[in-house]
Amino acid sequence: MKVVLIGFASVLMLTVIAGLIRVERGPNPADRMLAAQLFGTTGVAILLLLAEAMEIPALRDVALVFALLAAMAAVAFVKRAWHPGPHEKGDPS
Amino acid sequence: MPTTTTPSLIRVLMRPLRRAVVFAAVWWVVAEADPEGWVFGIPFVALATGASLALTPTREWRIRPVGALRYAGYFIQQSVLGGIDVSMRAIKPSLPLDPLILRYRMRLVPEYARVLFADTVSLLPGTLSSGFEDDTMTLHVLDCELDVEQSLRDVEQRVADVFGLDLSAEGGELAAIDGGAVGDCR
Amino acid sequence: MIGWISIALIATGAFFFMAGSTGVLRFPDVYTRLHALTKADNLGLGFVVLGLSLRADSWIVVLKMLLIWSLVIVAGATASHLVAEAARMSNVPPWRKRS
Repeated sequence: MKVVLIGFASVLMLTVIAGLIRVERGPNPADRMLAAQLFGTTGVAILLLLAEAMEIPALRDVALVFALLAAMAAVAFVKRAWHPGPHEKGDPS
Repeated sequence: MPTTTTPSLIRVLMRPLRRAVVFAAVWWVVAEADPEGWVFGIPFVALATGASLALTPTREWRIRPVGALRYAGYFIQQSVLGGIDVSMRAIKPSLPLDPLILRYRMRLVPEYARVLFADTVSLLPGTLSSGFEDDTMTLHVLDCELDVEQSLRDVEQRVADVFGLDLSAEGGELAAIDGGAVGDCR
Repeated sequence: MIGWISIALIATGAFFFMAGSTGVLRFPDVYTRLHALTKADNLGLGFVVLGLSLRADSWIVVLKMLLIWSLVIVAGATASHLVAEAARMSNVPPWRKRS
């Protein structure tokens, strides 16, 4: 059963790698931001699978931190890195 | 806090207490019920309660248990349908997409209810909330043939039931945006 | 028996993750990709959590996984709203069929 769970974790890893192609292609920063969400959700699933398979409960705590960090990253990206403020509406920059 | 006869001092003391109980419950789950976890847990519950009181001193909403349960059931059902719908569109060779952007005039007024509404809409089949402007919510729709208006009205009613709000405000209809017309499938 | 149901649920979850990534690769613009990512991946995680819950040693672990899942749902829905809004404000054009 352990092998099966690790197998599923590897499949999920492949879906993250597939998503990385999108990050690489872009074309705009929002497309790259999709990666943080992809890492967040898929990373959480991978960590939960590994926590069960390898019997390392601490990985569930890592999953929890992943979930929180992905949210922070998205908000920080939108508020600071990409779009400096809400007043640029209609400004073709 | 259902009664108005409650002495205000008790109510003032109840507010931090109630929040502390919620944070303690979260900590209890995070620490997997390990009693030793409280060494860290108690200070962090206190910090979280303080931060929560500083950020939102007064809680505006009340959650109705029946409405919340109904919402939960509906939410699970719809997010399963939403996941299946978008997955099928993604793997079909023909890539069946005909997206458009719409606006919906909300009947929900309080901000917290609008946030729950927008988050719910994003997990429904084919709709993604993408901003607020005054009383309208902008949304991106995957397929212009979906009956978006009906499902939005439905979600809005269920969100209203969670908080015991009534939807007497004007609205509840779609508006076109960016020169397109509602249901315009070109 | 429970072992097989658990595997079936996790496999279903993996399917939705694969579909989500397929959408992120194949869909034509950032808005449609956000649909794929939020909806498919949240559902995928839900199935993985359900499958693992059947195998969990204690109820508290199940509760913890459900807590993590609900955090991911709230964070994912809110983040996709913010990213879509930022994309619109930066005039990223939405893709239209035959236009």
